[in-house]
Amino acid sequence: MPRSRALSPHARTVLSVLLDAGGQWSHGYELVRLAGVKSGTLYPLLIRLEAQGYLEAEWQQPTEGGRPPRHAYRLTASGVQLARANPPEPSVAPASHGGRATI
Amino acid sequence: MSIGLRRGLTTLSCRILQAVLPPALQPWGWAVRYEAASIQDDTEALLFTLDSLSGLLPRAIAAHLLRPFAEGLTIMNLLDGTMRRPRALGILCAIGAALLGIVYMVIAGAPLRYFGINIGALGIGLSMLGMLGHAASADRRWADAAIVTMAGALLATALLGAEVDGAARWVNLAGLAIQPSLILLPVVLVAFARTRSATATTGIVIAAVAMALQPDRAMAGMLALCVAILTVIRRDRHTVIAFAAGVAGFAATLMRADTLPAASYVDQILYSSFDVHAGAGLAVWSGAALMLVPGFVGFSRDPHNRVVYAAFGAAWLAAIVAAALGNYPTPVVGYGGSAIIGYVVSLFALPKLTAVPARMGGRTEDLADRSPSDPDLFVALA
Repeated sequence: MPRSRALSPHARTVLSVLLDAGGQWSHGYELVRLAGVKSGTLYPLLIRLEAQGYLEAEWQQPTEGGRPPRHAYRLTASGVQLARANPPEPSVAPASHGGRATI
Repeated sequence: MSIGLRRGLTTLSCRILQAVLPPALQPWGWAVRYEAASIQDDTEALLFTLDSLSGLLPRAIAAHLLRPFAEGLTIMNLLDGTMRRPRALGILCAIGAALLGIVYMVIAGAPLRYFGINIGALGIGLSMLGMLGHAASADRRWADAAIVTMAGALLATALLGAEVDGAARWVNLAGLAIQPSLILLPVVLVAFARTRSATATTGIVIAAVAMALQPDRAMAGMLALCVAILTVIRRDRHTVIAFAAGVAGFAATLMRADTLPAASYVDQILYSSFDVHAGAGLAVWSGAALMLVPGFVGFSRDPHNRVVYAAFGAAWLAAIVAAALGNYPTPVVGYGGSAIIGYVVSLFALPKLTAVPARMGGRTEDLADRSPSDPDLFVALA
């Protein structure tokens, strides 16, 4: 059974960016820049979201020759619900401990 | 800091990350590596990688530390891994059966040196298996030559071996009476199941003659049962010839009286062990059953080599049945090093690994399967 805990401000922000993408695939560095989080924060978060079924990931082949494939991410239906239920908080105040989400 | 150095450090950091990540998280290591390769600015790429490394490192360490405690996983992996390695499984069964045999002997009050001889035989068998496994090739001609040589040794024993009450089954070696048929015949039979060439068939015919000359109903029965099963499973000209020789040899032994009396702690112990103690009986029967496990497991899990496992199982089942019916050595669980050495060495003829593919895992393994290959990155970083 997953440990129940509230979403962090960073998680809410990343979810919001992914929600704004509207079903389009996003990449790691792009999320880092748009959400304003460090990659060391982003990847553990993506791993948890993917493991809990809120995020889907796929490898995308490069459009330019000689470039590597990239790992791309988008929210699943449950991920969209989670993102809508947990919008980014306007301030940097500590997140509430209502235990609504489980990541 | 030069551009080349920054890119080099980025690559190094990515490699460190991939080295520390557990298999389930490897796709994320590739994700970071490829993402860094797609970042144009070298400093940005390096910072991105270093930060990813610092963020994922605690998770990687935690995963490695917690792995042994993952509920049931380690035991399941060990079990699955052992089941896929018939030789390894056979070694475990041999050790288990020999130890159960010692349990019987302790309860039955056998002389102390009997335990030592059985343990010594187990050590010799395992050493021989180790040496064979490293030295011998899987070349068919090597197997053919080995079968004929071993069959020749059996014939030589029948003609020149140490004789007791009209039976010449033994060779005196360093003060011990070794029974070559118990050591060599199972190997010959399992090896024949693998090769079944004209030369190997000649070896089987020679072995059948050797068994008939003694007479040794147990070993002749082992040969006959084994080639009969091979004939049922995959009939060809060589198997049919071997079957005819095996049946003729066994029939010849049945027509001659085998007057050897039962030896204590060696013969007739399958039933008599229960008279000693229920624990002793249980040990003997469990040990005997354990000997058949590699054959059963291999037969059910490795359809490509069924004939080989069938030969192995038939050979040792025949030895057990013979011990139950007559005054013949009870293999592995009874006193006598020859059967222990023979059982362990016959494992050499089993495949090292079953042809069954590893169990496919869940989503993370699927992700790993979809991960691009290393050369893609070389192209990207070039």
